[in-house]
Amino acid sequence: MDYKGDILYIEQVLAGKSNAFSYIVDRHKNKAYNLAFRICGNHEEAEEVAQDSFLKVYRSLKGFKMKSSFATWLYRIVYNTAISHVRIKKKGVLSLEDFPADATDFIGNNTSEEEAEKEYRSSLINFALQKINEEERGLISLYYYEEMSTDEISDLTGISKSNIKVKLFRARQKMLEIIEKVEKKKLIYHETHMIDQNYNHY
Amino acid sequence: MNKQEKYKEDLLKQYINPERIEKAPEGFTSKVMMRIQLEAALLKAAGRLRNKNLVPVISAAITILLIVAAFLIPGSETDLSALPVVELIKNIKVSLPEINLTSIFNFNLPGLLIYVFIGILILTLFDRALNMLFHREK
Repeated sequence: MDYKGDILYIEQVLAGKSNAFSYIVDRHKNKAYNLAFRICGNHEEAEEVAQDSFLKVYRSLKGFKMKSSFATWLYRIVYNTAISHVRIKKKGVLSLEDFPADATDFIGNNTSEEEAEKEYRSSLINFALQKINEEERGLISLYYYEEMSTDEISDLTGISKSNIKVKLFRARQKMLEIIEKVEKKKLIYHETHMIDQNYNHY
Repeated sequence: MNKQEKYKEDLLKQYINPERIEKAPEGFTSKVMMRIQLEAALLKAAGRLRNKNLVPVISAAITILLIVAAFLIPGSETDLSALPVVELIKNIKVSLPEINLTSIFNFNLPGLLIYVFIGILILTLFDRALNMLFHREK
């Protein structure tokens, strides 16, 4: 992301041209929304969180130190807003039954089997993300989706580097356990399905 | 990172596709800008209301202060010196400056009215000045 471009627009907003803020929103909206979505788990809340975050950024733009990275500052606000949002709106825990066992459930009218498998994997990872706590969810999103280093995550979240490594390790373990369980369920489903088909055949 | 951790990380990476970004919905930017403009308009309106209320409050406060001051400032040869408040102020080692009010109280009513009108005129001008100051568009 062009850092100088951000500064240029920020200076314009601070000079009273509030419309210049729309360029800033346009430049960062997808990344901000994506992070909010990974932490919140649904589109409605992600939009609300991303909008609130941009509003917070606008309000506190005067306090932004031009020497630091605007993107890091913005994502810090998105991360904190999303975490607080999820903590306030604590939802019930999802059970494994909430996830469809058959990958064919993801095949639409015009999708190939390969695309359906991709869709299945993506939904499975989102499901696993929703089963871990919001902080771990945020860290996983920053590490895997935003492809940030542990140093960058530490700078953004204020959590020490060693602590991030521990939290990431735990989150990874939890997610893999969930994925394993769902995959087992999928396998059992297919086996039973095959037995049923063979039985009907004879 | 040990071998097992590396294995787990790689395993999870098989499921995660960082290129798959959830994009912000259509009209996201305009919604944010609308909220910003709405908030700015609300803040402006609230500021105006506050300033509108501030003018009469300041005017009233200054008027009350002037009236109180008129009673509290000790005159040298007037009946006001008999007031207990004045007595109290006189006892304070750092006293307020003395203003000779004798001439004012010796006036007859028509003579006093001129001063009353001048006073009202000054207060009106003061009120207008405050009004202009707080209603100036930013």
